[in-house]
Amino acid sequence: MLDFMLYGILISLLISILCPLIGIFLVLRRYSMIGDTLAHSSLAGVAIGLMFNQNPIIAAFLVTSIFGVAIEFLRSFYKKYAELILVIVLSFSVGIAITIISSGNAHADVESFLFGSILTVTREDFYTVLALIIISLVTIFTFYNQLVFITFDEEGAKIAGIKLKLINYIFAILVAATISVCIRIVGVLVLSSMIALPVATALQLNKGFKLTLIFSMIFSFIDIMLGIIIAYYINAAIGGVIAIISVITLVLVIIFKKIFDNLSSIKKVDIYADK
Amino acid sequence: MIEVKNLCFSYTNKPPFILYNVNLNINKGDYISILGDNGSGKSTFIKLILKLLAPTSGEIIYNSAKIGYVPQRFENLNTQFPITVFEILECYRKTLKLKDKDCIAKYLEFVKMSSFKNALIGTLSGGQCQKIFIARALMGDPDLLILDEPSSGVDYQSQNEIYALIKNVNRNKNITVISVEHNLKAAIENSTLIYHICEGHGHLCKPEDYIKEFIAANEGDNGYA
Repeated sequence: MLDFMLYGILISLLISILCPLIGIFLVLRRYSMIGDTLAHSSLAGVAIGLMFNQNPIIAAFLVTSIFGVAIEFLRSFYKKYAELILVIVLSFSVGIAITIISSGNAHADVESFLFGSILTVTREDFYTVLALIIISLVTIFTFYNQLVFITFDEEGAKIAGIKLKLINYIFAILVAATISVCIRIVGVLVLSSMIALPVATALQLNKGFKLTLIFSMIFSFIDIMLGIIIAYYINAAIGGVIAIISVITLVLVIIFKKIFDNLSSIKKVDIYADK
Repeated sequence: MIEVKNLCFSYTNKPPFILYNVNLNINKGDYISILGDNGSGKSTFIKLILKLLAPTSGEIIYNSAKIGYVPQRFENLNTQFPITVFEILECYRKTLKLKDKDCIAKYLEFVKMSSFKNALIGTLSGGQCQKIFIARALMGDPDLLILDEPSSGVDYQSQNEIYALIKNVNRNKNITVISVEHNLKAAIENSTLIYHICEGHGHLCKPEDYIKEFIAANEGDNGYA
């Protein structure tokens, strides 16, 4: 069991780096809900993988990549109704997943993918996830500047010669890889919280891009580690606990920021009065 | 430098056209202000030159134009975006694969914004923001600078500073400038040519001729200033 825990913790550590790295671009481009939609697509992938007795994480990655690319492709048809595409893909994914699972064709425990579980992480899962994480990190760092540019100023990026469509498709596959990596630990239902919440918390600190990213990773690490420890002691699913901790961290940061802002404005008034 | 030939454009690719049979020669060193009413096709014309849109018919011939672009501030900028001035410029430098790391400091100095290097973009005023975007556009050593309403949302003092900068790069660095303008006074005072777009057609003239035509059209009412 300790072996499984170790694999789980190692993956969690890597996830705490990867999720904010993808999440910061999704949140700032206002695509946060893509995470939720693709998480449901990954469930369809898991169900398909289990039905054919194949590695569910690889199956999730392939299916989620296809849906990720499909979302990007459909975007040009519904320019002003981006959320409509998400509804279409989400419905289709959940439809596939429910049909396979309810018909008894998924020959394994799907529940661990829904809620997340560290104890079910196998050695094979570990190496699959590790490979996906390394490929994702290398790809993100290769395209980091282009991604920042597109996120901040899409028109300017196009004029500067960035191949917008290509980068968007690569990014869609990266999101798919991140989600496939996370489903074992965090679970489908709260996966989007891992992508969006640490970034939302870091945004409260009003820092530049790099610092916001670093703080997102720190918050993500705290959320995941606390989530694993608490879930272990109260014998609950990790995904749910991480989601609760992430929201608590966000609320605490908002409260501390408010207090700090109030204190500094009082200080400023005092200095002004002294003069 | 850039030759616009029989350019027609419509978003639906069929009549009515926003721009119809537009012809324009842009020569090295020109400072052209594009004027026209709202919806006359000024920004569309710029987007065609920037290759963000494709002409419905006609063509735009480029003779070695390296373009620097300054967007309209309030159209695109998310003031809550967590990015510093340095990060914006560094990201542009790396995208253009510019090897000179000092060019960021050089152009910040040029627009007199060195002390704002580590400031978040959202904390800057309209005028300061425009100066940063001008610095960014100049970093790639462009021979053509395109600006979309550079004084939009900018206070009077900053407007003067911005137009002084644009005039400086045009006159002293011989960079060609095309600027979409709603600011008639600035257009008349700074540009070497005015391109007026009305009902899909363009008309090129010198600023002094434009004033005469403007006054004649408004029956002597010169309240443009």
